[in-house]
Amino acid sequence: MKPRENSLLPLEDAREAALFFVVGALCFLAALAALSAKSTYGAARAWTAEVEGEYTVSLSGADATAADEAARLLAGLDGVITARAFSDAEINALLEPNFGKSGLPADLPVPRLIAVTGAADAEDLGARISIALHDAGHSAAVDAHAEWAGDVRHMLSISRIAALSIVALLSATAIAVIAFATHAALLARRDIVDVLHVAGAKDRFIAGLFERRFWLLGLRAGTVGALVALASVAILIALGRSGAERSGLLPQLSLDFPDLAVLVVTPVIAGLAARIAAGITVMRSLRSVM
Amino acid sequence: MTQLRPDMFDEAAVRLDGVSLRYDSTEEILSGIDLVLKPGSFSFLTGASGAGKSSLLKLLYLAQPPSQGEVSLFGRPTSRLSRDELSAMRRRVGVVFQEFRLLNHLTAYENVALPLRVMGRKESQYRRDVEELLRWVGLGERLHKRPETLSGGEQQRVAIARAVVTQPNLLIADEPTGNVDPDMAARLMRLFYELNKRLGTTVVIATHDLGLIRQIDAPVYRLADGMLVQENGEVAPTARRRTDPLRAMP
Repeated sequence: MKPRENSLLPLEDAREAALFFVVGALCFLAALAALSAKSTYGAARAWTAEVEGEYTVSLSGADATAADEAARLLAGLDGVITARAFSDAEINALLEPNFGKSGLPADLPVPRLIAVTGAADAEDLGARISIALHDAGHSAAVDAHAEWAGDVRHMLSISRIAALSIVALLSATAIAVIAFATHAALLARRDIVDVLHVAGAKDRFIAGLFERRFWLLGLRAGTVGALVALASVAILIALGRSGAERSGLLPQLSLDFPDLAVLVVTPVIAGLAARIAAGITVMRSLRSVM
Repeated sequence: MTQLRPDMFDEAAVRLDGVSLRYDSTEEILSGIDLVLKPGSFSFLTGASGAGKSSLLKLLYLAQPPSQGEVSLFGRPTSRLSRDELSAMRRRVGVVFQEFRLLNHLTAYENVALPLRVMGRKESQYRRDVEELLRWVGLGERLHKRPETLSGGEQQRVAIARAVVTQPNLLIADEPTGNVDPDMAARLMRLFYELNKRLGTTVVIATHDLGLIRQIDAPVYRLADGMLVQENGEVAPTARRRTDPLRAMP
């Protein structure tokens, strides 16, 4: 039986194995950074949406009954969806991390708390709550969560931009590495290129050989990188779930459809980048000969 | 030196007009060379080592542009051709390199088929021709061997088969019989001669081998000091008078 016809380029050598590793590692980091950027963005949106329209009212020198009355008063305000006074148990639970299970002495005055949820389009709700309570004779402080949530949102935006910058930097690095490796491969296979050139191969034909080779290399290395990133994210998710109560405001990694799309797109982008870099490098090199 | 006549230009397979060559800032390797080879001609190129034979051949197989002057193939000045036209022109030229330049990851069969693959031919179209050609050069049992497992002479025959498989209009061979025994050398010369006589292929052979030159009645060009001169004195008169050189070959 006649052996299958070989490619006009030799099989991969050690240089390409090293390049495979580098591209795979870069794709892994890029995919991980992209997933982190997306999770950060998602967490910022979810968290800010959660605190948008949330207010906490502190009533000084009031007992539980007065707090309930104040809550009923606030519930009747225009733009307020819910208003609920915290029970003693809830207040103690909030204080427990700092004061322990024994709580505060009974004679120590502790402000009563009322959680208010307002409509997203309610205007000046914080000020109206203050006025309403003041008019009713309460001494109250109103904390609008959105005011300090803005700082957190700003910080998360910076994190997102940083993650996207890392993705861009890693992608640019991968393309530069591939271009450099293609040039080296071309120099190492100058003999083959010369023979093809003398045999009448058009520049496009020779470039096509390298483009196919590096497209497959980028695709395969990218797939390995993306799969390792997938495994890493799965492990991080599992670890995150086991310590969920301590995760605080940290963005939660997930594996939903957009995340999987990122992982699928990563090898394709790596393959395309490799293909384009290879094509440009080979065409430039060939232009330098007759 | 060949006298240039206007009527030669249109029909010339190869025409060098005042061609000089120098690499970077080095001394001129070829200087003001004029040469006209008619289609279907058979020529030898000789000269001492380092005289510039390989450089002159490079100009002919379009691997190197001249520093000065014009190289025309088949009536077309190559300096005016686009890159794609140059590629198309190269397909009409078969080259046997002195160092063979076989691709080591390909088998003998695949090396010979390479120019056909470059031309976009399908394997079903050329398989029989390639196998037959390899059998003809005595490599019928070595079709699927890689060059590194072949002897020097076998590699040379693969290189020659690769150069002639497309039945080129111009065949350029640099020391094509340097690594084969006299019988095989004569057999390969017969192949070149048949291509020349039966298909009208223009053949240029660079060689040091005076015995080879004497076998065929053909003009001999000698390169010396960067100049090309047509030489008659070294060619034995008896060989020149031979009417059928094939009779003397195996």
